[in-house]
This record gives sequence, C-alpha cells and structure tokens, in this order.
Amino acid sequence: MRGTLTRRLGTYTLLATLILSYLFLYLPILHIGLGSFARNHTFPYPPRWTLDTFGRLFGNSLYQTAFFNSLVLGIGAAALATVLAAAATLGLMRHAGRRAGLYLALFIAPLFVAEVLVGIASLIFNGLLLQLQGNLVSAILANAVHCFSYALLIMATQLYRYDWRLDDAAMVFGASPLRTFFEVTLPLIWPGLLGAFVVTFIMAFNNLEISFYLLGATPTLPSVAWGALRYGVKPELYALATAVNLVVILGLGVMFVLMLTGKARFGHRPERARAV
Amino acid sequence: MKGRWAGRALLGVPTVFLLALFVLPLLSMVVLSFWRTENYHIVQDWNLGNYITLATGGAYVTFLIRSLVMAGVVSLVCILIAWPVSYAIILYGGRYRLLLTLAFAVPFLTGEVLRVIALQGLLGPVGLINAVLMALGSAPLRFIMYTNVASAIGLVYLYLPIVVTVIYLSLLNFDARLIDAAKIFGASPLRAFVEVTWPLNLFGTLIGFVLCFIPCLSATLVPRFLGGANGTLYGMAMAQQFGESGTWALGAAMGVVLFLTSIIAVLLVGMRVDLRRTGFTGFGRG
Repeated sequence: MRGTLTRRLGTYTLLATLILSYLFLYLPILHIGLGSFARNHTFPYPPRWTLDTFGRLFGNSLYQTAFFNSLVLGIGAAALATVLAAAATLGLMRHAGRRAGLYLALFIAPLFVAEVLVGIASLIFNGLLLQLQGNLVSAILANAVHCFSYALLIMATQLYRYDWRLDDAAMVFGASPLRTFFEVTLPLIWPGLLGAFVVTFIMAFNNLEISFYLLGATPTLPSVAWGALRYGVKPELYALATAVNLVVILGLGVMFVLMLTGKARFGHRPERARAV
Repeated sequence: MKGRWAGRALLGVPTVFLLALFVLPLLSMVVLSFWRTENYHIVQDWNLGNYITLATGGAYVTFLIRSLVMAGVVSLVCILIAWPVSYAIILYGGRYRLLLTLAFAVPFLTGEVLRVIALQGLLGPVGLINAVLMALGSAPLRFIMYTNVASAIGLVYLYLPIVVTVIYLSLLNFDARLIDAAKIFGASPLRAFVEVTWPLNLFGTLIGFVLCFIPCLSATLVPRFLGGANGTLYGMAMAQQFGESGTWALGAAMGVVLFLTSIIAVLLVGMRVDLRRTGFTGFGRG
C-alpha cells in the first residue's frame, strides 16, 4: 500500500514540475502576446483588442529593413553552416578513421566558447588585422561558425544510424560517388539537413551576441530591438516578439504535420519508442 | 583513390573554415590582450598591463566571482528542474514526446533579446506578477526586478530549454530495461536510480551543465536589462570595453580570462566523469 502511495506521489511531483515549467516558459510569451493585441498593453486583462501596434510595426521602415537584413543573415549563415556540417558529418563517419576524435573536438569546439567571445574575437580579427569594416557578410561568416557546431550535432544524431552499405551497393553497381550522393545518400538524409537548416536559420536570425559586433551599421531585428529596449519597452517590441514567436511556432507546426503524415521523421525512431 | 580525395575535401573544407574564422580570431584576441589601448587607438607594445589591471582592480575580481557563482547556481537550478521535466516527458509523453520536447524548445528559438523583452513583461515593475499582486491588494515584490535574483530567473528562463533537450536526449538513448534488471535483482527504486539511471545519464547531464554554464558565465544582455546596480557580470563588463569605453585591449584580456575560466570549468567537470562508467562507447559510428 505504501509503495503505491509513494509511487503516486512521485508521479504527481513529476507531472507538477512539468506543468509548472511549461507555465514558466510560456507565461511571459502569452502575456506579451496578449499585450501586443491589446490597447492596454501593460496589463491586458481583459484585453481591449486592437491591431494598431502591428500596423505601426509593419509600417515602420526601419523594422522592414532590419527584417530583410535578418532574413539574409539567417539564410546565409544557415546555408553555409548546413553545407559545411553535412560535409563534416559525412567526412567524420566515412573518412576520418582514427583521427575522428581530433576532428570532432575541433568541430564541436565552438559549442564550448560563448557566443559573445566569438563575436568579440571576430571583431578584433576583422577590424584590427584585416582592417575590414563590419557588414552583413562578416556577420554571416561569424554566425556560421556557431551554427556549424549545432548543425553538426543535429546531423550526427540523425545520421549515426545511416546504413552506409546502401552507398557501397550503389558504387558496386557502377554509380560514381557524386551520383551515389545525389541519388542514394541525399534523399535519405534530407530530413536531417532540413532540420539543421531550420534550427540554424532561427538561431542566426535571432542572434545578437555575435552579430552585434560584426554588423557595423547594418540593422537587424535583434539589434533594432536591443536599441529600442534601452529606451524602455514599447508596445512595438511586444508585437515584434509575438510576430517572431508566431513564425517559429508555425515552422514547428509544419514540421509536426510533416511528421504526422509520414513525409519526414526528423530523427524520430519508432522502434525505440519503448526505451525507459 | 577517389574516395580518399573526397574524404580529404569533406574533412578539409570545414577544418579550414573553422581555423580561419574561429581559431584565428581567438588567437588574435589573445595577441590583442597583450597590447594596450590609448585614446581609442591600439598601441602595439607588448605588456601585461591589462592582466595586472584585471587582477588588482577589485571590481573586475568581484565581477568574475559573481559571474562564477551566478553561472554555477543557474546551471544547478536548470539541471534540478530539467531532470524531472525530461523524465516526465519520457515516462508519460507517449507518442507526443517529441512534440513536448519541441514545445520546450520554442522559447529557445525566439532569440535572446525578444525573450528578455518577454521577461520584462513578466517581472517588470509594472509586469504581470507585480500587477497581479497589486490588483490583489498586496505590495509588489521588489526583489524580482533589477536584482541578482532577477538575473538568475532570466538566465534560468533562457537556458532551461537547452538543458532539458540535452537531458531528454540522454534519457531517450538510455536503455530502461537496465532499471528493470536492477529491480528484478532486488534494488529499491531509489537505489536503482542512484546506481543505474543517474550514473548512466551523468555524461548527458554534465553536457547540459556545461552548455548552460558557459553562456551564463559570459551573459551580457540579461544582467544589463534585468540585473540592477549590483548586478554587473563579467560578460557585461567585457562588452562595455568594446562599446562605451573603447578599451579594446582590456576587453580582449577579459575575453581571454573568460575563455580560460570556461575551459577550466569544462575540464574540472570532465575530470569527474569516468566515460566508461557512463556507458560511453565511442562516437556513435556503430
């Protein structure tokens, strides 16, 4: 009898922690989400609905330029990081041999260096040694360093069960390495690539700590938001945060639907469903 | 022959990329830390002045210690919360496990600035918590805004998602039949946890700790917008050297200190791990 009681207590504690953590994470987001749609934005309970804030946000040309720059930064850094990480993952798994540990240590080292240090170090390198002014390109390159390690991790978790005998089979039947890659490897690993691209895009799009030092005078959404935040929180910032949150949730929603319909699995392995 | 060439390109290009854009910049930061700045200009004479300033200027030592304590406390709190959360997701998540984990990652993916803005909406002087308290007729809580407590709450908010994800992945790859085996041989649930579950997931837990500790140690945004007058952390002070005060060389020295501190912390944590005891079998090339 006592056993079931403690077990039930354990269950409740676990579930309570879970729910409280979700509340902790989502309460601020929901709060500013409501606030951005309400006239009384500091305490929108009950909200008096309005779309003025969003109108002002989307009508503001600074935010428009910043959005476009962030988009370029995100796509550039994510594409670069994903392609490089794909090459690195394939290289690590197929060709590294005994030096795999060494390469892996280098490839994941950026994870263990704080973003702000990457930003500052790149600023010093570009500014002092190469005499380069900060611009979007330098920001893309520096962001790609940080994103690369995340992309590598995401792809490694996806690919470590990949059956390389499929490639060998294609080669045995006379396919060139390039053709093997495009007709066998790529179709099988694209969910990993897509996952890595999506995650690194979101990271680079939102990044401030690296980009801040390398952008020069180029505005991006986080840097504009940071600038505005110094003069106190305005309702436009609530609207901006809400808009970005909605886009991210939409993206994950699309991922979820793709998984549900079986178009892509994103690393979900049904055969392991009963672990723990 | 061809395969070898392909292997070299696959590994070589990312290596060159990282050497040029990651290792070289860090090295140039080290070099700059031994120069000095005068009136916003870099003077190339080798000296240890920056490090002497950092070691003797009481404020910098205080910032570093405060940052270390803050990062340690925040990482521990994150792990204490993340364990039950990921365990609950694994146990009761069923087929929605991935969705539940992704739901945890949503806030992580929306950018630090925007999350700090959201937190100000929650904790601020006229934020949700205080507005509710005042509507109920009680006094507003002063300690949750512009204090070190607020910074800590902010950092937990920022880095909890990644710790949860890491521990979740560790638990996902953990073979639960081992617990059953322990129980069959008469271990109590507590003993099974202490002797099987915990040590076998220690590696994942420590990775989560490190991935939370390092960014917390060099946090710049959170102390600036949530911390108060006594809330300056090392990363924030470092960022100021590159902004308002323009003393790049001193900032570079602070960067080196921060970098070394992170490395030492990682090594200290890493030394406590006996990889074989944690069930580590290689780099997943099986």
